[in-house]
Amino acid sequence: MRKRKFLLVITSVLALLALLAACATPTPQVIKETVEVPVTKKIKAAWIYVGPIGDYGWTHAHDLGRKYVQDKFGDWLDTVYAESVPEADAARYIDRFIQEEKADVVFTTSFGYMDATIEAGNKYPDKIFFHCSGYKRAKNVGTYFAEFYQLYYLNGLMAGALTKTGKVGYVAAHPIPEVVRHINAFALGVREVNPDATVDVRWLFSWYDPAKAREAAEALISEGVDVLAFTEDSPAVVEVGEEYATQKGKPIYTFAHYSPMLKYGPHSAVSGQLVHWEKIYEDILTKIYIGVYTNENLENVDYWWMLREGAVELGADFGVPINPEFEDDLKAVKVKDPILGEISVYDLVFKRLEQMSEETVLFDPFTGPIKDQDGNLRIEAGRRASHDELWTIDWFVEGIVARIPR
Amino acid sequence: MLEFLVEALRAAIPAGTPLLFGTLGEIYVERSGILNLGVEGMMIMGAVTGFSVALTTGNPWLGVLAAAIVGGLLSLIHAFVSITLRGNQVVSGLALTMFGVGLSGLLGRRFIGTPLPAQAKLVGIRIPVLSDLPILGPLFFQFDPLVYISILLVPIMWFILYKTKLGISIRSVGEDPATADAMGVNVFGIRYLCTFIGGVLAGVGGAYLSIVYTPSWIEGMTAGAGWIVIALTIFALWSPLRAILGAYLFGGVKVLQYRLQPLGISPNLLNTLPFILTILVLMAATREVMRRRIGAPSALGLPYSREEK
Repeated sequence: MRKRKFLLVITSVLALLALLAACATPTPQVIKETVEVPVTKKIKAAWIYVGPIGDYGWTHAHDLGRKYVQDKFGDWLDTVYAESVPEADAARYIDRFIQEEKADVVFTTSFGYMDATIEAGNKYPDKIFFHCSGYKRAKNVGTYFAEFYQLYYLNGLMAGALTKTGKVGYVAAHPIPEVVRHINAFALGVREVNPDATVDVRWLFSWYDPAKAREAAEALISEGVDVLAFTEDSPAVVEVGEEYATQKGKPIYTFAHYSPMLKYGPHSAVSGQLVHWEKIYEDILTKIYIGVYTNENLENVDYWWMLREGAVELGADFGVPINPEFEDDLKAVKVKDPILGEISVYDLVFKRLEQMSEETVLFDPFTGPIKDQDGNLRIEAGRRASHDELWTIDWFVEGIVARIPR
Repeated sequence: MLEFLVEALRAAIPAGTPLLFGTLGEIYVERSGILNLGVEGMMIMGAVTGFSVALTTGNPWLGVLAAAIVGGLLSLIHAFVSITLRGNQVVSGLALTMFGVGLSGLLGRRFIGTPLPAQAKLVGIRIPVLSDLPILGPLFFQFDPLVYISILLVPIMWFILYKTKLGISIRSVGEDPATADAMGVNVFGIRYLCTFIGGVLAGVGGAYLSIVYTPSWIEGMTAGAGWIVIALTIFALWSPLRAILGAYLFGGVKVLQYRLQPLGISPNLLNTLPFILTILVLMAATREVMRRRIGAPSALGLPYSREEK
């Protein structure tokens, strides 16, 4: 009997070990993609992602950019990445990429990696680092960001034209300047077309939680909101809109965020914001390859790319700036613009899109006079808000009824 | 005000439904003396299986069925380790959660960004007159079929647990397996059965999320629902009837946080509320007077072996 028991103990220990080995799967892991082409000079670039590449949002979009440069520059570029890296753990992953994977360039793609990236820059002075969405740079650490506020403004124009209740909603992730700026740009668009409309906001305090996004969207709809924009890394809000439009016979218009979501809401998604990180990665890596960027001259390299550079695109799907289903509705609404005269919202959107895409950007949504929600003049008439002002913005424009949580 | 309450309640029920499925299952598991902390892993595997099968076959019911089977099979791993091998149930359950979360991410990779076509979704029912009634319509006659199935399960599972011979066997195995064994109850069989039921229902709960609630697959989409189920099981004091109250209460809190936000009520505070309630219930339940009536199954988490009687 004792022997049998001993055997059982051994078997259970082995089974547990097997399970524990199996459970190593969800921890962040390094996945290699190598292309064997004999060339003289090779560059190895590493990406550190904050989320899973399957989030259908932020990390997914960055990984599409990585795949694009891997395919395009396969002759001289190797890429590696680590996903779901906790922000406190970035330094360890950078060490590993540089020491074991012999990476030459490291892209860190979350705001929380900022200090770790700067420290790594000091520690490895002969390597190149690029940090996404931060503001600290060094001679071998550059920064980059694809900014959406122009698109949110264009989405706002359409939202203002489509709302029947005069109430527009926004499901927001965290109360930080980036999100506040986007809500403001959206509200500026809404009020340009529909000066009496209001914008209400619900905060998720999470970048990614489809169930929460759904609940927040439904809460806004129950208060009479009939147009929704959002910042959250799943198509949940678009799905809610589609459900209302097709099953409950109550049209709810939505604006997709970050990834092409038209297929989740063919009768609800009007337009949205799309990103092209590959444009930025292509530019950075080409310049590193040809020697424009080195480990000595990145002190002032800050990409703040928008429509003009092609880093962002208007639409709920690539190549579809406005869902054709809503074209007639948008053409039917006319506004009076001081410069353009009477113009349909549909034409206004494309006019503004053109103005903001040109080499010299002719229009900026954050051009004064702009008042905050308490009626104080924040941007004087005729002045465009500066990069720094927009970067740190912590007040809501007129027309937004929600407050920013402190 | 009435409209606000009706609307909040209407939203709370679907929000609580995946929790209800999971909790009903976990109640049976724990009633038989097994602690399965792998609910999160089984739910998310149910979510990815349900979604992929519904997507490829175009039939949501096949998706739910497949999710139930996968959840059940996964639970058998836990059953084997904790019942047959008499391993540590906490370790095994945690391993199952991590395993499920990791594997679902791997399996689901190609479904990211693919929407569920309209015919593969489970939509709300429409009964001609009843669904259009002003207050009763949205509150009782507009939900999707799975909501009604979960509600129907409550009295059935309560009846089996308290009014049938099988129920007595389940409870006795959870309280005192040695005595139950001496009385001729198949302790191993009952525990395997209950763990399996728990897995099946956790799988269905996960499928509810990916097919009905947010019809899409996104990595990590259960976002801790499995852990709320564990808390709810305690909150419900291992009774299916209290489980439905608990599930809708937890669902209601989830839904209310966005409706009360404009009033300045912190969502973080609201989010902690169910857990504070769970702790209070647990404290009350562990008092000597109450314990005999509603306490945790005495043999919960303890492996049973015949030789050590």
